[in-house]
Amino acid sequence: MLANGTIIPSSLSVRDLLWQVRWDKEKCTLCGRCCAVCPVQAIELGVHRKRIVQIPSLAEIGPATASSNVYQVYHGVRQKTDPAYACTGCGMCNLVCPNGAIIAERSEEIDKQRFHINRGGQPRRRGGRRNAPDYLNLGTLDRIKFTRISMLTDPALDAGRHEFELRTLLGRVLPPEENLRLYRENGWIPPVREIYPLIIGSMSFGALSPNMWEGLQMGVAYLNEELGMPVRMCTGEGGCPPRLLRSRFLKYTILQIASGYFGWDEIIHALPEMKEDPCAIEIKYGQGAKPGDGGLLMWYKVNKLIAAIRGVPSGVSLPSPPTHQTKYSIEESVAKMIQSMYMAWGFRVPVYPKISGTSTALAVLNNLTRNAYAGGLAIDGEDGGTGAAYNVSMDHMGHPIASNIRDCYLNLARLGKQNEVPLFAGGGVGKNGKLAANAAALIMLGASGVQVGKYMMQAAAGCVGSETDRCNVCNIGLCPKGITSQDPRLYRRLDPEKVAERVVDIYLSFDTELKKIVAPLGRSTSLPIGMSDALAIDDKNAADRLQIKYVV
Amino acid sequence: MEQQQGSVVHLSGSENGQRIESRILEERIQQAVEKGCRVLEIEAFGQHGIGGRLWKGGNQKLHVKITGAPGQRVGSMGFPNTLIEVFGPSSDDVGWLNAGADIIVHGHATNGVANAMAQGRVYVAGNIGARGMTMTKHNPRFSPPELWVLGSAGDYFAEFMAGGIAVICGHEPQDPENVLGYRPCVGMVGGKIFFRGPHKGYSKADARLIPIGDSDWAWLTENLKTFLSGIGKTELYAKLSDREDWQVLKSRGPSEKYSKSRRSIEAFHQEVWDRELGGGGLIGDLVDFERTPIPLITTGFLRRYVPVWENRKFAAPCEASCPTGIPVHERWRLIREGRVDEAVDLALAYTPFPASVCGYLCPNLCMQSCTRQTARMITLDISMLGKASVAAKLPEFPPLSGKKIAVIGGGPAGISVAWQLRRQGHEAIIYDMRSELGGKISAMIPRSRIPDEVVQAEVARVKEAIPHVNLSRRLERSDVEELREDFDFLVIASGTQKPRVLPIPGKEKLIPAIEFLQSSKAGEAKVGKRVLIIGAGNVGCDAATEAHRLGAEEILLIDIQAPLSFGKERKEAEAAGAKFRWPCFSKAVTDEGLELTTGEVIPADTIIISVGDLPELDFLPETVETERGFIKVNEHFQTSDPKIFAIGDTVKLGLLTDAIGAGKKAAEKIGAVLSGKDFAAGASRSKIDYGRVKLEYFDPRLSGFGGIESCASQCSSCGTCRDCGICVTICPESAISRQSRLSGAEFEMVVDPEKCIGCGFCAGACPCGVWNLVENEPIG
Repeated sequence: MLANGTIIPSSLSVRDLLWQVRWDKEKCTLCGRCCAVCPVQAIELGVHRKRIVQIPSLAEIGPATASSNVYQVYHGVRQKTDPAYACTGCGMCNLVCPNGAIIAERSEEIDKQRFHINRGGQPRRRGGRRNAPDYLNLGTLDRIKFTRISMLTDPALDAGRHEFELRTLLGRVLPPEENLRLYRENGWIPPVREIYPLIIGSMSFGALSPNMWEGLQMGVAYLNEELGMPVRMCTGEGGCPPRLLRSRFLKYTILQIASGYFGWDEIIHALPEMKEDPCAIEIKYGQGAKPGDGGLLMWYKVNKLIAAIRGVPSGVSLPSPPTHQTKYSIEESVAKMIQSMYMAWGFRVPVYPKISGTSTALAVLNNLTRNAYAGGLAIDGEDGGTGAAYNVSMDHMGHPIASNIRDCYLNLARLGKQNEVPLFAGGGVGKNGKLAANAAALIMLGASGVQVGKYMMQAAAGCVGSETDRCNVCNIGLCPKGITSQDPRLYRRLDPEKVAERVVDIYLSFDTELKKIVAPLGRSTSLPIGMSDALAIDDKNAADRLQIKYVV
Repeated sequence: MEQQQGSVVHLSGSENGQRIESRILEERIQQAVEKGCRVLEIEAFGQHGIGGRLWKGGNQKLHVKITGAPGQRVGSMGFPNTLIEVFGPSSDDVGWLNAGADIIVHGHATNGVANAMAQGRVYVAGNIGARGMTMTKHNPRFSPPELWVLGSAGDYFAEFMAGGIAVICGHEPQDPENVLGYRPCVGMVGGKIFFRGPHKGYSKADARLIPIGDSDWAWLTENLKTFLSGIGKTELYAKLSDREDWQVLKSRGPSEKYSKSRRSIEAFHQEVWDRELGGGGLIGDLVDFERTPIPLITTGFLRRYVPVWENRKFAAPCEASCPTGIPVHERWRLIREGRVDEAVDLALAYTPFPASVCGYLCPNLCMQSCTRQTARMITLDISMLGKASVAAKLPEFPPLSGKKIAVIGGGPAGISVAWQLRRQGHEAIIYDMRSELGGKISAMIPRSRIPDEVVQAEVARVKEAIPHVNLSRRLERSDVEELREDFDFLVIASGTQKPRVLPIPGKEKLIPAIEFLQSSKAGEAKVGKRVLIIGAGNVGCDAATEAHRLGAEEILLIDIQAPLSFGKERKEAEAAGAKFRWPCFSKAVTDEGLELTTGEVIPADTIIISVGDLPELDFLPETVETERGFIKVNEHFQTSDPKIFAIGDTVKLGLLTDAIGAGKKAAEKIGAVLSGKDFAAGASRSKIDYGRVKLEYFDPRLSGFGGIESCASQCSSCGTCRDCGICVTICPESAISRQSRLSGAEFEMVVDPEKCIGCGFCAGACPCGVWNLVENEPIG
């Protein structure tokens, strides 16, 4: 801002910004690293003038010895106040500062920046998850307690030494009599996978950087092949690298098909060369972070590599429509699309839809129960993350996962099909770091397994995005950790091996924590799916809504 | 009832055909021992805990013989010197919390044998059930506890075993394939297990197989005899004493704890991942660049941003806002370099009137846009440099090309175009109807604003450059059409001669300002005491000043709106006592003065009208289009007739510098056409962003300049490197160096990409805004 410059309505001071950079002149060595690393060029070297008024002793002031001004100049790091360069609070400057001379601090009051991030009439878009200003208050899932502890009533298990079979089923499970009948009659029995109940949810190759994606896949392969944990990862909509399609690792992969159908011709071309079937096919109808909104990979993220995998020319924007354009009803979607996807792999691969959390989830579910091809239903709640969405969609659209999954499970129970159509829950699982507790709560509310995305970015790759609007720049390809960027200068910061290592750490520690929850409940060989008598919450309304115990 | 037979007491767990409670039997056993009984024969009927806690026997040996069916926890909390024999199988938890008793079970024992035993021995002459020898410990004050099993152990054997010795002899085991049961040794932290026979695994995390050493073997064979003799099966010794048959499991110490040796991720990456997928992993077939990890701070092509030394890429605001395009900052630079003459002469490349216009008559748009004024710092005084330019020497012109251009009008515009054409080597011939060259400058502008000698000096310089001037020639259309044919190009720069007049009664009494100013300058004008000027623009102000000089006492300028006059003209008019009044709408000119539409009559002796002038274009060939009284031109000042250009006030009313600039631009286009060059319109540099220039290096309180040199020192040289070297100094990586170009005086600042980290400090510190930080070339 020029000293005598005019202001415009969007002229902001540092005080108005959400993230305010504190710079310590005493500690700074002017090494330049903070400015070099800042993903959004929020800081720059500034030239500052210092004025020293030199006044000799008053008695001496006279015509010969006048007081005088001395100006000095010093250089320092200063924050830009143009909202276009607003600091995102990522903290990279602090990470590279040798002296701890710089740090971004969150505004103490509601920032003014938020009123000016729609310049040009373009509403704010960002990556991340629902910004919850009350982030210190735990969410519903975090507040659910496991209160049914097996004490003298039945033998409690030792989480450390007892043997556990924490597996879940993905695919349509027929009632035993039906299964036997089909077996006798040599009929078609829907394929079912026995998998680990914590699934890495759909994050596309494109939304994630190549190094991040490879790190996740490598970690998953390691868990399967070295540790015997049948962990699965969903590709998200962005195709699948040709090499993975033709490798045995494909069996650890759930291929997603969504309304943009990106990369599917490459998948089809790879069919004759596949060594293994994929674990399953997920048909995406909706996403928790932005229900009813399609995906959009901006042209600047569509480089040669992404283009090759998605089967499109590079440098074009890739929108996915909000809906599958040839599907006009639930019945049609279920009948047409699910069956077609089964055909691709000779009816050997389970197919299930994924929807965003919605009050209409039951309508979908009821249709699925009537269709033997439906291998399950994944529901992504309002707290799900995304690489790019309108802020308003992220903050205000969608349905909380807990009650949505609960309603669906109870509905299945009413139909007597609670063991037949597995439900998978996602959206904010582990949002406050309580991954196993959240997962266990959802499982006991009725989920057969949970899907996590953002947690993986945070725990496996060091994503600093948060629900207090920190970083969250996944959408513009400037991820300072190289997780969601397609720029090799950024994503090479991320070592796939280290990501894989963290994925393994996460699963091993999750496994122990899950055991620490289910062992005292006396469960070891089957997941306590729908075991809601073990659950309680200190909120009467939530307890009533979820049909679990109310405790204080 | 108790029956005493010497020291042998026989107790039955049944009385009158009824089983007695465990508590009663316990009381009787304790009583008997207290009374000195040292051999007890007990017929058990499922009573619990028989044989434990018999400390009352003191150091004397105590023998508890149990027949029948003992209940759980035989010998629990057993004491040293107690020997318990069960003549038959035993129920759960034999020797639970045993603290020293020897317990012999002449048969199988069910689950939990020796659980939590700390001292003593348990001999079982058969197999045991699940969870035997669990949570046992070895207190260093005592010998370790021992469990001897003739047959096999059940599942979860030795869980949490924390000390003691277990011996599983594997004789007639329950499962011939596995003498240790399912998942033994989980959580084992102490002790040793001798076993004989096959096993199906044990917790490798907690225990390890060790070779049976000589001292172990000696201990085993020695104690095996005791065990076999205890259970009365000494005949098995030969069978059980083959060293080859025995193995030993020992707990792992805390430092030996075995974690399954996992393949490292690095090894997995190479040996499994890349082997299955191919070199380069997942996308090795799709990318041709490295994806190996890089640090946060990078150099070379891995930098996200790179600095660019954009010297002279952008125009300084002074240059950009000067219609004539004079690079004012370059003139200050020359002065800073001590090349004052060059600084003065430089202007002649742009204008034939550097002194008259820049020094006196121009409102100095350059300084109005000077970066310094954005920080409320006084702008440089260009008029100082302008005035000095009166001495600028006539440059050397190239020889004439033979191309000829006729210029109609010898005012600032016409002279400018002729001057520029001459600089290119073309011959320009000026036609003017006045007797004097210089147009408004020499004919109209009051002497109070510019001394005659300055104008004369500059006109003289022009005349030297352009000798062919046809003065006092009023041209008709036929003349102009002839000129068009005779010359390569024709430039119309005839200015405005036709004053606008108001269509009101008495308008013929109005004196047009331009006529007034011309006659005033020629010394022929007279005014009354009260002068009224309609139109309070700058020309009106000049008229007011002149009217004052000619003796007017009351001068009033009226306008229909707030006067647009500004600058020196306005100030001088105000200094002359002129008053301004608005809005006033004229209705009629009367003998008394001017009548307004309100009916008010402003008394005046002289009424001058100064509401603008129009060009007189009667002579225009029909090929030249006009628009609202002015000639229509394109961006090169070319008219609808490509051979004819029009500049200055004939096109649009403007400042002197606008006219001079137009002349320059037209000459550039004409020169380009004449030399057959492609002329790219708008190729001029754009103005530098003020924000790039750092004024913090200057004294903000400066209130004046001592002279040209001190003025030059305060120029921030926007967009042009002033060679201060601050970038070289500020660069944290010493990546910037100043390198001379071959030509000597020229230099450039060069970045070493292998050192630079792209921090942009050079751009942040550069006083001139020359450095810029731009995104690096994309990769991938």
